[in-house]
Amino acid sequence: MSQVENMRQMVATKLNGIERYNPENLVLLEQYVEMQVRENTYDLEANLAILKLYQLDPTKYNLDIVCLILMKAVTNFPHTDLTLCKCLLSDRNMQDTQVSNIVFLADILERCDFQQFWTKVNSMPDLCSKITGFNDSIRKFVCHVVGITFQTISKPLLARLLGDIDDNSLVMWIRKNNWKEVENNMVLIANQDDNIKTKNITEKINFTDVSAIMASCR
Amino acid sequence: MYSEEYVESTGYEYNYGGDYDGHTGDPHLDMEYDRQYAYKVPDVVNKFITYFKNAISEGMIFEIQNYYENSFPKLTEQFFDKKSWPDEADIAPLVDNDPVFLILYKELYYRHIYARIPGGPSFEQRVQSFYNYCEFFNYILNGETPVSLELPDLWLWELVDEFVYQFQTFAQYRARGGKRTPEEIETLNQNKMWNVLCVLNVLHSLVDKSNIKKQLEVYASGGDPDTVAGDFGRHSLYKMLGYFSLVGLLRLHSLLGDYYQAIKVLENMEIHKKYSHVPACQITTSYYVGFAYMMMRRYADAIQTFSSILLYIQRTKQLFQTRSYQNDQINKQTDQMYTLLAICLVLHPMCVDESIQQSLRERNFHEKMYKMQYGDLNEFEQCFNFGCPKFLSPCSTNVESEDSVKEAMKHQTNVFMDEVRQQKMLPTIRSYLKLYTTLPVSKLASFMAQQARSEGSNEGTVAKVDIAKETEDLIIHLLCFKHKMKNLVWSKGASGLEGQFQSGSELDFYIDHDMIHIADTKVAHRYGEFFIRKIMKFEELHRKIKQVKI
Repeated sequence: MSQVENMRQMVATKLNGIERYNPENLVLLEQYVEMQVRENTYDLEANLAILKLYQLDPTKYNLDIVCLILMKAVTNFPHTDLTLCKCLLSDRNMQDTQVSNIVFLADILERCDFQQFWTKVNSMPDLCSKITGFNDSIRKFVCHVVGITFQTISKPLLARLLGDIDDNSLVMWIRKNNWKEVENNMVLIANQDDNIKTKNITEKINFTDVSAIMASCR
Repeated sequence: MYSEEYVESTGYEYNYGGDYDGHTGDPHLDMEYDRQYAYKVPDVVNKFITYFKNAISEGMIFEIQNYYENSFPKLTEQFFDKKSWPDEADIAPLVDNDPVFLILYKELYYRHIYARIPGGPSFEQRVQSFYNYCEFFNYILNGETPVSLELPDLWLWELVDEFVYQFQTFAQYRARGGKRTPEEIETLNQNKMWNVLCVLNVLHSLVDKSNIKKQLEVYASGGDPDTVAGDFGRHSLYKMLGYFSLVGLLRLHSLLGDYYQAIKVLENMEIHKKYSHVPACQITTSYYVGFAYMMMRRYADAIQTFSSILLYIQRTKQLFQTRSYQNDQINKQTDQMYTLLAICLVLHPMCVDESIQQSLRERNFHEKMYKMQYGDLNEFEQCFNFGCPKFLSPCSTNVESEDSVKEAMKHQTNVFMDEVRQQKMLPTIRSYLKLYTTLPVSKLASFMAQQARSEGSNEGTVAKVDIAKETEDLIIHLLCFKHKMKNLVWSKGASGLEGQFQSGSELDFYIDHDMIHIADTKVAHRYGEFFIRKIMKFEELHRKIKQVKI
């Protein structure tokens, strides 16, 4: 782990001020992306810096690195990292097949059509297997969305959303999120009633706000 | 506002004031005069230049401000409406060839050409203007000690703003193609003029030299910025140039689509605090920040940013009535911000201040918003194209390629429209959920299927609705609704990038077994802040009047 930490700190110094735009940093930054992919870590700023350097000097553009960066961004859902990455590419870049495949995949994920997503992933095994921990990161995102939407969900539906996983894995995910299995083959997520209640927001005027007025009333 | 105060205090006591009035008697006579004495610079202009130079050499800041804000525009209006100010060579003897003044004069000279000369600047003028800026920044940055120059804040802001603007328009000019001489093509290919790295370098150097970032950090925590300012940063010229360069970087990064860096650059700066007396700077900052948040799907933050600056503009409307280049830009940005705010409110309905709602109504945005809510993608695209900045492509690729500026615009628009398309079903779902407190999933599914069918087919045949499939689709849409409504919202912290995921929707729900439980939020009108503000204002007025001795 300390090797990753060292790399992270070294990269961070290279991203300060005008040094960020020094094309000689590209070699180091590209190695860092490959390290992130291997070790299942993530550094958004470093990846955006690479895309920026490609933007400033298109001769240095490296399709493989770009695909790795985009895939890593997908693993960080629900953050909008992928949108930020897309904005730094050019229209021409986006038309490349590999890039457009990844963007299409991300689009399905954004629309939360999880079943279609898993089908598509299974049809692109080489792309997704390159990224360590890709499937698990996506499952984490699915659990996040399920966690904010459902109070109870049926086990079969949950298994489908998580990519048709087997029973053992399902139990593991349920435990990981502190959910509970209940009767009728359902899973209890949380008591959403606490968070989601009809609210009437009335105005609250603090004492500090009127203290100035009261002070001037003599 | 304080230019008025200042005029009262000096009352135009310089001689040229008298001449000036005499000369403006008859504009036709003036034009005759110019034509007869073709290259003779009008006397009043000569005098102005001499006084101006003296004021700058002696650091008389109020005089400089008056000359810059009042005299220069007036003389421009009068003598140089469609032509340029006298060349450097013509006025150099008047000022003893003072190099600093000549650089500053040329800055104004070229700025005027960009703004008012029909047809804009020639290629040569663009190049010369670039060299002039280089000279200026070299002068400021290369010394061992800070230069003793003092310039008004407004000039410093307009200088940085113009610098970025000239870079922007050069990139557009280069992308447009068209007839060029071989020398021009050669210069373009060398890519030394208005190079993006050069511009970035200048802005970063100004930021670093003034230690403005450290100053802002200390200031934000309540300390005294002078302790970390260093020799250069303590000087007002460098400090303000550093601050305005941060805004320049915000703008530049946004034009290149790097929204993350754009917000990052403003670390430790509270967007709504007034660090300078230049309203244009504040408005520009809010515009770009709001836009960056919108592209990052942080709609709550974007709406908050736009609302507060639009409220500020509403309150200070009188300042922007006079016709001037800066005011035109402010008014244009105001219109753009209203458009972007309308888009954000469609994607993320939220309560905004009553006066903003009123303005939106007055500017006929409700029709546009209505269309967008019903899924009119063209309307989204049109509004986005109006509201967005004029994007650039930074690299100087070959001249034969198609308009890279148009490409950049198209690309950013596409990225935004992707997001809009993903959210297409949300308004429909929202409108149904608003009507119920509990609703079975299957029932909602059948409603939506019915609506889809009635919108889609005109034929008589009625296909059987596959409830299971519709329910599946609906679950997907409901998951998407929850996902899209949970944005990052900034609440505290130095960097605008920080934030917590919060569900911004007033309308919230959860699914339990097969039932949707819906919660709506009703927000009561807020009167407190308005009344408190007015009471304080009247108190102050009352106090002032009491002190007036008749």
